[in-house]
Amino acid sequence: MKKIMLPLLLLVAFIAKAQMKADDVKTFTLKNGMKFLVAEDFSIPNANMYLFYKVGSRNEYQGITGLSHFFEHMMFNGAKKYGPKEFDRTMEFNGGSNNAYTTENVTVYTDWFPASATETMFDLEGDRIASLSIDPKMVESERGVVLSERSTGLENSPWRHLSQSMQATAFQEHPYHWPVIGYEDDMKNWTQADLERYFKTYYAPNNCVVVVSGAVKFDQIKQLAEKYLEPIPAQPTPPVVHIIEPKQTGERRITVQKEVTNPYLMIGYHSPESKSDDYYALNILSAALSNGKSSRLYSALVDKQQIATEVFTDYGDSFDPGLFNIYAVANTDKTALELENAIYAEIEKIKTDGITERELQKIKNQKLMEFYGQIETINGKSNNIGTYELYFGDYRKMFDAPKNYNKVTIADVQLVAKKYFTKSNRTVGVLKTNVEN
Amino acid sequence: MESINKKYTLICLLVLSSLNILAQGYKLPNYTTFKLANGLTFNLMEQHDVPIVDVAIIFPAGAIYDQDKAGLASLTATALKHGTQRFTSAKLEEELDFMGATVNTYATKEFAGLSSNFASKDKDQVLLMIKEIVQNPVFDAAEFEKEKSRRLVRLDQQKESPGAVIGSYFDSLLYGNHVYGNNITGTKTTVELLTVADVNTFYKNNYKPDTSVISVVGDFKSIEMKKTLTQLFSNWKSNATPQENLASKAIVLPTENKVLLVNKDDAKETTMYIGAAGVSRNNPDYVAIDVVNTLFGGRFTSMLNDELRVNSGLTYGASSRFSALKNGGSFIMSTFTAVNTTEPTIDKALEVLKKLHTKGLDEKALASAKNYVKGQFPPDYETAGQLARLLSTMYWYDLDRSFIDNFEKNVDRLDLAKANEIIAKYFPEDKLQFVLVGKASEIKKIVEKYGPVTQVEIAQ
Repeated sequence: MKKIMLPLLLLVAFIAKAQMKADDVKTFTLKNGMKFLVAEDFSIPNANMYLFYKVGSRNEYQGITGLSHFFEHMMFNGAKKYGPKEFDRTMEFNGGSNNAYTTENVTVYTDWFPASATETMFDLEGDRIASLSIDPKMVESERGVVLSERSTGLENSPWRHLSQSMQATAFQEHPYHWPVIGYEDDMKNWTQADLERYFKTYYAPNNCVVVVSGAVKFDQIKQLAEKYLEPIPAQPTPPVVHIIEPKQTGERRITVQKEVTNPYLMIGYHSPESKSDDYYALNILSAALSNGKSSRLYSALVDKQQIATEVFTDYGDSFDPGLFNIYAVANTDKTALELENAIYAEIEKIKTDGITERELQKIKNQKLMEFYGQIETINGKSNNIGTYELYFGDYRKMFDAPKNYNKVTIADVQLVAKKYFTKSNRTVGVLKTNVEN
Repeated sequence: MESINKKYTLICLLVLSSLNILAQGYKLPNYTTFKLANGLTFNLMEQHDVPIVDVAIIFPAGAIYDQDKAGLASLTATALKHGTQRFTSAKLEEELDFMGATVNTYATKEFAGLSSNFASKDKDQVLLMIKEIVQNPVFDAAEFEKEKSRRLVRLDQQKESPGAVIGSYFDSLLYGNHVYGNNITGTKTTVELLTVADVNTFYKNNYKPDTSVISVVGDFKSIEMKKTLTQLFSNWKSNATPQENLASKAIVLPTENKVLLVNKDDAKETTMYIGAAGVSRNNPDYVAIDVVNTLFGGRFTSMLNDELRVNSGLTYGASSRFSALKNGGSFIMSTFTAVNTTEPTIDKALEVLKKLHTKGLDEKALASAKNYVKGQFPPDYETAGQLARLLSTMYWYDLDRSFIDNFEKNVDRLDLAKANEIIAKYFPEDKLQFVLVGKASEIKKIVEKYGPVTQVEIAQ
């Protein structure tokens, strides 16, 4: 779930009101096409390096589902200079730590380290991008790791079951159809050749954007990048994902069985990609519905009617049109259908009357606070800068965001509610114990 | 949309390792402390990078005071926001939301807390609300019933997530009847019986100024902030009699291996904690234990994760940690695996623990752990919220800044001989406590070899 990324984007909207300016981010591109964005910040003696590769499960096809995520794991399992286990051992010996994540759209590697270890980070990253070795023995043990990762996700959250079925139903042709983790049978059958082809196609310097924030100098970063990363050759541009999900022409409904106390409900409306003109209005709509206890859905469904025990919404970032999702859990003795209808009643109010001036202002205030939270840390800075560069095509657009948010009116919010929240555009999913009646 | 992490986040090395200051000469920024006539302590630290303020309050009102009403401390903390003499619950939430401000109240095992984050321009308004929440809660009966009903559903839902319940099972197994075994969220049986009168009584007995602390960090002037806080909180009075220090009673520790098997019929994997008694927060070896645990189970290349994940692919992650409280603590190894690999996973975890004792550490590994602990420290104290929580926690555990400022020195001082002593002294070899959440019909026979088994149904 992309709960973290949603606020990120919104917050950034207000960046111009705070201390940070577009010019505080300095950029250069290596001869092989690898782009760097650097934000100097000496508030703590640490720095980070975020590598955004433009590859995710949307670049897969049935038969190799989950490979992007599996590849993310394999990037830690040995290269030419630093063999198996040496990437992590070297990083930790130098006081650094790391993680990585994969979504439908991107694969992101995150290194956090004392600034004094910056050169080691470039050496480590350069080694694995230039010459990863895909050891068949490591492939087998790592396969067990991702199968366990899949299993523990399903074991601990009913939402995981339901959202996978929702994606599979809302998207019939586009690759958002399958889960990022992959199908269990595909996971057991990825081949060495699949992995090698994936590395060559997508792990090219020209398919990567790097963001560095922290106690480092721009000139130092440029010098290190030239030394460790520029020698890596560029590759042909990866194939374009050409599938466009056909317009949905009627409501779709699914049911999923799992032992749960009360029914879980999801409603997903097809919604546009991040570059759409409707992006900002839809984000404000999402906040009006579920941000805080005074939000429309929480106050009506959880507090006043007590028909739900929890409710939240999600309109995340995506390269291709995705879903605007509403999630809710029914209260004891309430049915999923009652809950569903109560949600529609709230949506109808917005479609008919719009939101209020005070609500609009409230959301703008919340976004500003969220933004402050992000620029408080060097990690927040790297995440924001990279996210804008990737999803909006230019990190500078984050400095235009205040203007774009301020342009949004009550009428715009009402308009997107009417445009996207239609019956024929939605998929409805219910997860419950007894599915026979 | 979905996002999946490659490496799961290793739980912080020691639960309280947030206190581990260090790195490149890091010193705690300056702050001032003052106390009102009613005994209430304040810490103020100015941080002007971002125009926000964070507040962290600790009250001596944790679940250790629940007695037979498990869940009461937690529900009382939540109910602080159910309206005050001046604001209804709905008004409070709307005004806070409008400012983009947050005020959260919660209870831990030992203490209750309030944390808040708001724009510095809104400080007068939000601090007034915090004062109302702390001093003048009304504990509205209708709001309480709604909260309780949601809590009962959540307690039922716990069976949907083994990871959410395993910790409280482990504490009850390790601590037995000691108050450290108390279950913070309560059970359906105990919560069902709680009333708004119970909440009122708990509040009166346990929320009091002379043993509470309020830390404020962010964009303000200390002189003005002190004046504002003095006006707001000087009238806070409590007639409560001093609490008996229940936590200081002796903990009767287990004398043999024990297994608690928590049955979840539809489990596809086994979720496990294996552990024993740990150390209290004031243990003089606290920092050294943190460094050694980093090597054993506190980071990605740790012995546990290396063996159970990297070498054998049995699990997505394995880790260990010491959880330290004022008068005791626990040590656990934590992992999960498919039902049919339960036995090799437990055996391997035990093997790794044995290896720690038989082989000890070497110089290179120790140097790596020391570098790591130091290098990962500064980002833990980057924000106003992190610093506010730090200051209140320091008050609670009676730590002064020398602990923080000398942290790096204390890490550096640890040599190999001492590290190996730490292993012998603090890492258990026997009297292990096992909690296994999984499908009992498949794993019961297997787990009997680790000790006498008690079986219960999940979340009942």
